[in-house]
Amino acid sequence: MFSKYIFLLLFLFNLTSCSSKKETVYNYEGSFNIEKGGMLIDAMSGEPSNLISMIAGDSASSAISGNIFNKLIKYDKNLELAPELANKWIISDDQKTITFYLKRNLKWADGHPLTSNDVLFTWELVTDEKTRTPYGSDYKLVDKAEAPDPYTFRIHYKKAYAPALDSWASLQILPKHILKDEDINHTFFSRKPTGSSYYKLTQWINGEKLTLDANPSSVMGEPNINQLTSRFIPDTSSQFLELIADNIDLMNINPIQFARVIPSRPDLKNKLALYKELGNSYTYLGFNLKHKPFNDIKVRQAINYALDKQEIIDGVLLGLGEPVASPYKPGTRWSDKNLHPYPYDKNQALKLLREAGFDDLNHDGILEKDGKPFAFEILTNQNKQREMTAVLIQRRLKDIGIDVKIRVIEWASFVNQFIKTGDFDAVILGWSLSLDPDQYNIWHSSQQKPGQFNFIGYSNKEVDELLEEGRTELNSDKREKIYHAFSKILLKESPVIYLYAGYGLTAMNKRIKGIESPAPPAGIAYNSYEWFIPSTLRRNEIAP
Amino acid sequence: MKKIIQNPLALGGLIIIVAVLFVAIFAPWLSPYDPNYIDITSILLPPSFSHLMGTDGLGRDVFSRMLYGSRISLLVGFVAVGIATLIGTFLGAIAGFYRGYIDSIIMRFVDIMLSIPTFFLILAVIAFLTPSIWNIMIVIGFTSWMGVTRLVRAEFLSLRNREYILAAEAMGASDFRLISKHLLPNSLTPIIVSSVLGIASAVLTESGLSFLGLGVQAPQSSWGNILTDGKEYIQFAWWLSLFPGLAILITVLGYNLLGEGLRDLLDPKNKNQKK
Amino acid sequence: MLNYLIKRLLWMIPMLIGISLISFFIMHLAPGDITASESAFNPKASEESRQKLRALYNLDKPLMTQYSLWLKRIVKLDFGNSFASHQRPVLWETKDAKGNISKGMIQDALPITLMINLIGLLIIFALSIFLGVVSAVNQNRWPDRLITIIVFIGFAVPGFWLALLLMYWTGVTHSWLPISGLHSAGFEKMGHFEQYIDLFKHLILPVSISCLGGLASISLYVRNGMLDVLQQDYITTARAKGLPENKIIYRHALRNTLLPLITIIGLSIPGLIGGSVIGESIFAISGMGKLFFDAVLMRDFPVVMGILTIGSVLTLFGNLIADIGYAWADPRIRRGISN
Repeated sequence: MFSKYIFLLLFLFNLTSCSSKKETVYNYEGSFNIEKGGMLIDAMSGEPSNLISMIAGDSASSAISGNIFNKLIKYDKNLELAPELANKWIISDDQKTITFYLKRNLKWADGHPLTSNDVLFTWELVTDEKTRTPYGSDYKLVDKAEAPDPYTFRIHYKKAYAPALDSWASLQILPKHILKDEDINHTFFSRKPTGSSYYKLTQWINGEKLTLDANPSSVMGEPNINQLTSRFIPDTSSQFLELIADNIDLMNINPIQFARVIPSRPDLKNKLALYKELGNSYTYLGFNLKHKPFNDIKVRQAINYALDKQEIIDGVLLGLGEPVASPYKPGTRWSDKNLHPYPYDKNQALKLLREAGFDDLNHDGILEKDGKPFAFEILTNQNKQREMTAVLIQRRLKDIGIDVKIRVIEWASFVNQFIKTGDFDAVILGWSLSLDPDQYNIWHSSQQKPGQFNFIGYSNKEVDELLEEGRTELNSDKREKIYHAFSKILLKESPVIYLYAGYGLTAMNKRIKGIESPAPPAGIAYNSYEWFIPSTLRRNEIAP
Repeated sequence: MKKIIQNPLALGGLIIIVAVLFVAIFAPWLSPYDPNYIDITSILLPPSFSHLMGTDGLGRDVFSRMLYGSRISLLVGFVAVGIATLIGTFLGAIAGFYRGYIDSIIMRFVDIMLSIPTFFLILAVIAFLTPSIWNIMIVIGFTSWMGVTRLVRAEFLSLRNREYILAAEAMGASDFRLISKHLLPNSLTPIIVSSVLGIASAVLTESGLSFLGLGVQAPQSSWGNILTDGKEYIQFAWWLSLFPGLAILITVLGYNLLGEGLRDLLDPKNKNQKK
Repeated sequence: MLNYLIKRLLWMIPMLIGISLISFFIMHLAPGDITASESAFNPKASEESRQKLRALYNLDKPLMTQYSLWLKRIVKLDFGNSFASHQRPVLWETKDAKGNISKGMIQDALPITLMINLIGLLIIFALSIFLGVVSAVNQNRWPDRLITIIVFIGFAVPGFWLALLLMYWTGVTHSWLPISGLHSAGFEKMGHFEQYIDLFKHLILPVSISCLGGLASISLYVRNGMLDVLQQDYITTARAKGLPENKIIYRHALRNTLLPLITIIGLSIPGLIGGSVIGESIFAISGMGKLFFDAVLMRDFPVVMGILTIGSVLTLFGNLIADIGYAWADPRIRRGISN
């Protein structure tokens, strides 16, 4: 009994010295030939709920189902649209009809042929009123869908709809021959799917792990790694311990682990490779534009000047992020290189605030207007990085005489009590940097009803027109001009202040080879089917 | 008081508590830095003479944050237990004094509350109220009064039929007077003991809630949230978790030792067996 | 005795209704429902579709209607399916037309939690009785003080912190024990005996951590009870008769001390099936605590209500059994009840 506590003391002692440990020494360096086989283990914080992705909403589910199912088209490593099930696609001159031509001899994992009938069936499912999917609206715009022959799938829109291709690059095609008589909402297929892509599900132990095996009849060819196992480990500290004990091969890590922990430990540096890729979302400070004084553009611009974005990136992300000046991923064509974030300029901020009528007349350090001090509350959800960002913002705004309070709220309450009711001054949240530039749902003035996404109440006629125009234009060059103009207005008006786009950080055991570094725009996972594990680096205990 | 000094464990507990209280009260004078001062040029520095307990992920001084955190952690403990003791004593007194129907109803209510996991109540109510330190105190208080109720009721039941109570009742003393002047003062022992032990539990509960992200929220510091912040780097920035971990351990230990010591001392059964 | 039993059983009905009412309303007072989960905050998901989902789950009906719908089903022992997109049955497995079996969520989680907590409880009792007796026999001398301090340290240490330290030390630095989960990667391919060893190794840390908190209260309970009993007249008599001290302590005193522990077992039943969110999250064990926590955060009402109902029924029965057991063991009370 007592010895346990002696152990504990010894251990604490041990911690500080960070003793290196015994281990079979693998030589991870050098060149290896591509080999098939091996097993890769990763960790997930949450368990997938449903492998039919149109019904599931969680990221864990889509991570798994993406390995099992195919789409008609996909985004390639440079985030351009590329063939997947479809060889090519043709857009009619009036931009209202899209025809997809499928590859020949496609097969489901059970050997059944995959044809355009399956695609049609999937479209019928996702637009069916009875299907419990939140994602149906994009597909309901399709006026007529048809499969004239097994290799052709054609859709007609009433009016040209630019995000159409993006929507077809995210719809996973389901097998008609299995699902045609099933209730899609309750079918066991969601836990025992038959797909057409690189892997097929072989084992799923609730609450513990899920195993995928290579699918020999994959329509995309066989992947190199034979088996993927995902372990469900909710706590990220535990995941990290498993990673450094070699029990899992990769996990997403945080900036401190990336920039400080692993580089400072030779034993970890030796066996873990670190990858960073620009993530798919940006974090912003959004104002309630219906509340005073945020309806005043000068106040918003002043706050934008008063915030040092680089400081936030350095402090919260240890430099592992990029400032953004538009809601598009830097480096893609939608992101305008000529736009730059507001520089940190305290004097400019003070000048603008004075123009807006704020002054510190009673010399208490806080600005007033009409006798009322400038004070507001920033709300955010329970997200460590957002909390830290809020603290940094609070400090900077105090410098120019704005009193900020921070309130952190659990997600469901946050959405229902504050976002939906419009009962907030300012929020720190994130939006995804979507691959299609259409952001109608977020910025159009018609999207302000409770539950819709323009909850900050942004309304600008010019922006409305640009968004409407962009939605009906399928020509990429023309769209580029439209969305650059849109981004410019948005930046000038500052309805939200772009804070940063963080990098996605991955630590991977060096026995996994074939990863492209530095990461292409689509991230390292785009070619995970080409990764391989040299047999000399496979571990006995988990050899298949 | 003398007796406490004779019991080394209780004495140790008392010393710990006084020391922690001292630190909490004088935190502003003891802190070398502003606990919320951010210095992103000195992130995650190990302990040194300029930062006794190192710095955290935003370059804030952990020592200063610990000192201010002690105020929050103790405040949570005291207020939560205060609430629980008030509710518990009130309901227990009524149940034990009036007995019969009222007693049955109150005690069944206690049973109901005991069979709903405390954790669920805390979680649901915090989700409803949104986590702030006052709500956390209220919630911990409202979900931990049942033990006090049982204690007070039992004490009242055993005192109720004593001669001096019956005599006072016969002389026409009002119910309120009977309860407040005669019964309550004689039931103080278990109330005090359970309050002291309750503070220990409340401090631990706060740290558990912090682990789940439902405790005291940033930028305020409590031992619980400093510890939770530090758990990601337990093998790297060990100072971030070691100091708050030890602080919680020592404080909770102090309250427990004092509580147990008091129980021993104030327990009439122990008096006649003094050797 | 029979009257007493019937009375107790009848009392359980209003109590269960009370529990379910309180839980139901607390749960629904908390803002939000399943359609507001983080993933639904996606511009591709439209508000109309969410309203449609809400209607499908009856979440748009008034609270009282929802409660009576729930009550109607529960009377038929139908706990329904989870609202989450996997739609698994809350309590017990169901079979579809093709013979695929969907396991119940509680069916999966409860045995795991029970296993850990029962082993934990056994260890707590064994250790506590030992420590309590040693303490009592050496009252106020150093072994007593040392034991008191140790059990209190066990109570006072923040469990998740100690757990992470131990995981690092035994799992990473020394590779003695697995870090998280309940099974190793190649569990399916092991022989029976190896499987037990594997499971045992995985259980060491979670069980030890789950024991720490309970040790203090029970060992002190045994100690104080023992001290009480040792002052009783019959012990003095036994001593006067010249019985050896060992025999006095183990035969006479301990037996009478242990009697009230039966009540404690009854009271620890909610803890037995409740599980611990923190422990289960850290050790990646999918028990009741984690299930419950996730369900509350997701506002998965059928799961929350299912766990609470099952939990409170078991708790109330546990208390009843404990009381009966106590009465059985103590002749004084047995007579008291039948009167």
